[in-house]
Amino acid sequence: MWFSRLLQRLFPPAPTPAALYLYLALAVVGSIVIIVALHRLLGPRGRRWLIAFVTFIAGLFFGLEYFYPVHGDPAKNFLTDWIEPVSVMLTVVGAFTVGLGIYSLLQVHGRNLAQRRPGWHNSLAFFLATFAMLVFGMWEHYLHLPQPPPEVVPWPKGIYEILFNGLFAPLQAATFSLLAFYIASAAYRAFRVRTGEAALMMAAAFIVMIGQVPVGAWLTSFIPADSPAAFFRLEMLGEWVLRWLNTPAQRGIIFGIAVGALAMSLRIWLSLERGTFFSEQS
Amino acid sequence: MSAPQPTTLSDRIQQIPRHYVYLLLAGVVVWQLLFPIRLPITPSVPTRGVYDAVAAVPDDKLIIITTDWDASTQAETGPQTQAVIHACFQNHKKFVIMNLQPPMGVKLAQDLAQEAAAEYGAVYGVDYANWGYKYGYENVLMAMAKNIPNAIGDDFYGKPVGELPLMQGVEDIHAIGLVVIVTGLSAMTEMWVGLIQGPYNTPLAAAYTAVMAPIYYPYLDSDQLKGMLVGAKGAAELEAMVDRPGKAVAIMNVQSWAHVLIIALILLGNLGYLFARGRGGERQP
Amino acid sequence: MGSLEHANWFMRILFLSLCAIIVAGVLLAQRGREMFIRRIPGLTAIEEAVGRATEMGRPIFFSPGLDSINIVTLQALAILSYIVRLAAAQATRIIVGLRSPIVYPVAEESVREAYDAVGRPENFRPDDIRFISDEQFAYALGAVGIISREEVATNFLFGAFYAEALILTENGRALGALQVAGCPEPTQIPFFIATCDYVVIGDEYYAASAYLTREPTLTGSLVGQDICKAIVIAIIALGVGLATVFAPEKNFLLTWLGGGG
Repeated sequence: MWFSRLLQRLFPPAPTPAALYLYLALAVVGSIVIIVALHRLLGPRGRRWLIAFVTFIAGLFFGLEYFYPVHGDPAKNFLTDWIEPVSVMLTVVGAFTVGLGIYSLLQVHGRNLAQRRPGWHNSLAFFLATFAMLVFGMWEHYLHLPQPPPEVVPWPKGIYEILFNGLFAPLQAATFSLLAFYIASAAYRAFRVRTGEAALMMAAAFIVMIGQVPVGAWLTSFIPADSPAAFFRLEMLGEWVLRWLNTPAQRGIIFGIAVGALAMSLRIWLSLERGTFFSEQS
Repeated sequence: MSAPQPTTLSDRIQQIPRHYVYLLLAGVVVWQLLFPIRLPITPSVPTRGVYDAVAAVPDDKLIIITTDWDASTQAETGPQTQAVIHACFQNHKKFVIMNLQPPMGVKLAQDLAQEAAAEYGAVYGVDYANWGYKYGYENVLMAMAKNIPNAIGDDFYGKPVGELPLMQGVEDIHAIGLVVIVTGLSAMTEMWVGLIQGPYNTPLAAAYTAVMAPIYYPYLDSDQLKGMLVGAKGAAELEAMVDRPGKAVAIMNVQSWAHVLIIALILLGNLGYLFARGRGGERQP
Repeated sequence: MGSLEHANWFMRILFLSLCAIIVAGVLLAQRGREMFIRRIPGLTAIEEAVGRATEMGRPIFFSPGLDSINIVTLQALAILSYIVRLAAAQATRIIVGLRSPIVYPVAEESVREAYDAVGRPENFRPDDIRFISDEQFAYALGAVGIISREEVATNFLFGAFYAEALILTENGRALGALQVAGCPEPTQIPFFIATCDYVVIGDEYYAASAYLTREPTLTGSLVGQDICKAIVIAIIALGVGLATVFAPEKNFLLTWLGGGG
């Protein structure tokens, strides 16, 4: 493919690590120059046009690779071999957003601390927690402990384990556990049988709730598992509700959402999306 | 803005302060943790599907266990992962752990795998491995389909995966015999079905939190998933099948009676509502 | 064996037809053809909800969900812009709580532009666009803290929500806030229904921008979308009939859709 050969001539593999770092530095500097130049040269309309163009090309690449006829074994077209490098490139670009996120966090909380805004002590806690986890997490990683780890571990690993297994994980689990209480109070307060449909829904909910736990199986354990009446065992009824009533409804929702997502994706790909956020209809 | 104070019995029944509801639930949980009423656990068809899928993997293929969960769902996904790991070890199947989001999952799963490996005398790198957290979602899967060592790079400990003994001969997705998705996150299954199971017919099984399992029954029904563990119940069932009763069984004792309490509260609320309607009024909680 | 790695001829025709129908709907609407959209209570309630906050003199809280920039979040930001314009016109304060650092600058710009558009740039408060945390439950607790301390009158939750949804809505309900939620994912819908006053379900969510703005491009796309759904239903009906009559290896539709043996 002439395009491949052209790219290989323009961007040959770096012969040494030093050359690779030089290429990377040139790429970063070059990218910054290009972005700044585009920002200054293009007005708002020009920027919108550029965004629309890049969006279109990006969507076109993957769409065309999927739809274009394929030949040979393994079946592929002229774009198939580019999927992997483009995917890797997108992964690298995506990794930059992690840096953007960290920068945004530092900026927001740094401002809170510097200006002593209300709640600044929370921002201080954020910095302490972030740097503690960062320092000890990386320290633990670069200890390169043997597998399995020894009985007595170095103290940085001990601190890391305290921070991770002793603080972070239990805090997450505890917050998630609040949901159990909220579900109980929300269900008690909100579920009232006001109509026939609500009664049906309530019956289905009770069957599934009880059928999903051992109590349900115990309550109807008097029905032999291999008898024709086994269908009326609560765990079987619950399974039936989930597989034969719930599944078609879920399928319908999935299809509806998929078509809605297709339409929205199409609008964004073709830059047709209108409204207060995207652009005004002229 | 608070609701008017309840005056009649039916109003009081409908408006039990939520603090008492929380206390009742907490009481049931503590009661069952301290004095469990053990009830038999019978594996369901979806759970049997997971076990059978693991057992059916050819000996020369790997199982991927994706651990896309973190500490928040650990009560369900932790025992699920542990039970799947036991099933792999008992059936002498080699497996790897990986995840796409969030990063914590591989660390938590690695702890579980090490604990189980000690019991079976399994060796890291030979019988199991941990590919670690890989950033990139669909891009990782697309790259893995074509070239696993390149896509994965280093394992959880920073060692190139190609150097691990169990990775010898593993080139692309055709070397994978089963993917078990253990997750508390939406959208993971759709990625694996769309990019791996659909194009390459790689068998998939899954383990979900109870709240998200209902939306994946269509995939079970259409055989895109060979089996499914539903929440702590599925984990308890698989623990029973591998004869390693653990946390999930204890959780099911608690969950059983918590469900009974919630149903009782709903019935109580509706009783109050019916009384109020009978009196000619309707209480809005 | 079936493969969906590349489109076969049937998929090409089907996908391109669906896209063509949507685009045709857009073009017809742009030429002035009136398109009917049924009432969606959750979206109709947005004006009422903003008005309630204005009357009570308390702020509005908006959460665009937990995802990074994707079509769900973009739709949420479009709804946010609409709400901000309504609120700004009534001089009602709106606080936006964000989880994704990527969405943060986008949301800030979107809100600033909305205030500019209604001629109230002086009312824009950058501090009301708050990045809370990128950890799911830290975000939820931070948002609950904002809702409680600011005593919001109205809670809008549009976007991708997960397990933290109930934490947000139950606390909002306890405070007495009017809550309007919209989420395309089915998993959290039951919790929203139990705790919110209005809920936008499934693909009603994707219809929001068309419904709120009534832009011809969007309403045309919505009508095209409905025709596509009718086609999908017809294919499902055909598939059910064929699967009932034929064995899988003789079921041509199964092969065309990539699942055939």
